Amino acid sequence: MENNSSSTPADFPEATSPAEMPVAPESGNAATGFAPRTDLSHLSRHAEAIRQELGKVIVGQQALAELLLTALLADGHVLLEGVPGVAKTLTAKLLARTLSVPFSRLQFTPDLMPSDVLGTSVFRPNKAEFEFRPGPIFASIVLIDEINRAPAKTQSALFEVMEERQVTQDGTRYPMPAPFIVLATQNPVEQEGTYRLPEAQLDRFLFKLNVGYPTVEEEVAILQGHHAGFGGTPLDAVRAVVSAEDLQKLREQVRRQHVEPKLLEYIARLVGQTRAHKGLYLGASPRASLALLNGAKALAALRGRDFVTPEDVQYLAPMVLRHRIQLTPEREMEGGTPDDVVKQILQQIEVPR
Amino acid sequence: MFCGPLARTGRGRLAAGLLVLGLLGAGGSPQPAAAASRPTAAADSVPRLAPDRTAALRLRRPQPDRLRELRQQRDFQYVEVKSELSAWDLFWARFWRWVAEALETPSGRVAWEYGVYVFLVLALGFAALKLMQVDLTRAFGRAPRRAALNYDTETEDLHALDLETQLTEAEQQRNYRLAVRLGYLSVLRQLSDKGLIRWQPDKTNHDYLYELPTGPLPEAFRELTRQFEYVWYGEQDDLTAEDYERVRTTRQAFQRRLVPTRHAA
Repeated sequence: MENNSSSTPADFPEATSPAEMPVAPESGNAATGFAPRTDLSHLSRHAEAIRQELGKVIVGQQALAELLLTALLADGHVLLEGVPGVAKTLTAKLLARTLSVPFSRLQFTPDLMPSDVLGTSVFRPNKAEFEFRPGPIFASIVLIDEINRAPAKTQSALFEVMEERQVTQDGTRYPMPAPFIVLATQNPVEQEGTYRLPEAQLDRFLFKLNVGYPTVEEEVAILQGHHAGFGGTPLDAVRAVVSAEDLQKLREQVRRQHVEPKLLEYIARLVGQTRAHKGLYLGASPRASLALLNGAKALAALRGRDFVTPEDVQYLAPMVLRHRIQLTPEREMEGGTPDDVVKQILQQIEVPR
Repeated sequence: MFCGPLARTGRGRLAAGLLVLGLLGAGGSPQPAAAASRPTAAADSVPRLAPDRTAALRLRRPQPDRLRELRQQRDFQYVEVKSELSAWDLFWARFWRWVAEALETPSGRVAWEYGVYVFLVLALGFAALKLMQVDLTRAFGRAPRRAALNYDTETEDLHALDLETQLTEAEQQRNYRLAVRLGYLSVLRQLSDKGLIRWQPDKTNHDYLYELPTGPLPEAFRELTRQFEYVWYGEQDDLTAEDYERVRTTRQAFQRRLVPTRHAA
């Protein structure tokens, strides 16, 4: 479990500040009077459909939904952190339900073994040979609940599958289905029976999202919804609106987003500054630069643009960097958080324009 | 043999005679009482040998070769070999001897007494500077420690740029994308000069948008920002003269709006 987690504020209450508010699609290319070069209407339609399905059950949390969609389009894994009862697991399950792809859920426990996750080879006496029985990781959307309750041995089993989208067992490689996304949840307040995730694994998550408490108005809406009843379990209210093939096409579109060369330099400077910052003893890796780039491209597409702006990069920087950097003990004792350092770094680098 | 010197005098002779008698009485003859208590038959059965007073002692001497051989063996060498001190050890031995001698002098004793306090003060000062994260390397004229990756954060001084000249040049060269950028920068400078925004290199265009006072300006600036972002970040290198004219018109209209703002202020 990460020490700074409990002091880290949620991403979403302050996401209502003007700069972080999602920009409506019509404010993109069409509004400038120029003909858009890329037709993003298909992507916007699918994104809106997913948002609407999630909105049937989840009250508020629009920014969380947008970031989950961003990760979905950027082909990245997401680590959701929040206190118990803020709908982390429910949100992940609902997102999986909006996609018509195989879904699997894993409850991580201290006695979980790597073979319980990846699968194991069993001997078939009739064929006199070993046969690989795939584990629950073989699904398109894998929800790992309470990921920090499994020890490092089990965590390390996820390294290959999360990065290379394959499992190697007995010398044979088993590719994962496309898409393959890990949505993991963890609880920041409990110390008993939890393990800190290895840095190598944290680096494999595109975003770490801090899920906070709802506002009073949102909580009233939650109560009203439950009081009225969903007509069954909350999951029944949500239906699949995007297929695996659709998602692949949307991802292709995201990959073709325009990124001005100065913005690439801006991303490299931001990430590079984490390696030179005095308050950090571990900076972010080049994988973080790639994550920031891919995330910014997906976010820009979701906001109706076929190009990335510095706002996209700045908005995603805390989510991409906070779990990839390590504070020095001095900074930690001063009460600093990774988000503070990221904010400081953002203030040090000139926005390209 | 031992009676010889004493027997020379009369008193000596008497003492020697008494000693001989004493010796004979103590061990030389059997005790009558003890002899009477022993059974006679048993006493007769034990043969008695007369003492061999003629046998001479023969000394056994070890062979010289064997002695020499044993002496050469390491186990029989009881003298410890003194280890030879290296030059470095000798230096330190001399140094510490010199220190000890120096401290024994009156001035040395004073230096030792106050030197401890000076050292403690220096150590406390160093610890305090480290806690305050003061870069001590500058104090000794050395360059400060630099990070492995030195990303310089040089900023473009908006107010030092000759934007009007560059803008005219870009328009003449039909580099419309650059012209849109320079036009937008001139608007930002104008806003900054009028105190409507606070220019900071790390701020985004939307940060400036939300700094503008309420009224018609934010919406006009939003439109201008959209056009700039679309052209500059969207890499619109093939912008036509008509497209650019539309952008320029929007910009000039915005800049005209800023004039009454100045008068009002």
